[in-house]
Amino acid sequence: MNQLRPPESGYQSRVRANVIRLFRWCGAWAATCALLALGPKFLWNRSLVFTLLAIGLNICVGIGAIVANKKYLEELDDLQRKVHLNSLAITVGVAIIAGFPYSVMDSYHVIPFHADISHLMVLMSLTYGASNLYGTRRYR
Amino acid sequence: MKNRLKVLRAERDWTQAQLADALDVSRQTVNAIETGKFDPSLSLAFRAARLFGLRIEEIFRDEDGP
Repeated sequence: MNQLRPPESGYQSRVRANVIRLFRWCGAWAATCALLALGPKFLWNRSLVFTLLAIGLNICVGIGAIVANKKYLEELDDLQRKVHLNSLAITVGVAIIAGFPYSVMDSYHVIPFHADISHLMVLMSLTYGASNLYGTRRYR
Repeated sequence: MKNRLKVLRAERDWTQAQLADALDVSRQTVNAIETGKFDPSLSLAFRAARLFGLRIEEIFRDEDGP
């Protein structure tokens, strides 16, 4: 049997490290979102300076999460990248197709509640997760 | 696109996981290529050719070609 010598840093360990990095950045971003949502009311009594600082922190950590996600996607192999690309395409499509009529429905009071951006984020998360799961199973 | 990846791997008694490590991809990718569900990129095809010591066209073949 010919012996194979795997690369110094294996694909799986590289992906695992990138997933952990991405998870940490996303966790930090979620924490800054919570700080931004709750801080003005419960922590600093609506002080404009602290609110602006919280917004700045939220944006900076968000940029870190974007960079971590980009690195994660870049270091995936061909197939995994294709699966993620398909998922992203479906997610962006669903967000645009669903987002506009949802906003119009709110404007003309077709729905009895306010069309919040968080609804769209939940829809995008679910769409991305479902399409990623489908793609992963398809090539199994 | 057809390929001889599975045959070449079996000749060397390698597992999909070992081949995946050597090609620096996931085992799922090796499986998808072997079963014809996914066509590899040119750089991955070159890596496979280098690993097996063959030319690309000796591993991968266009189904519509001659």
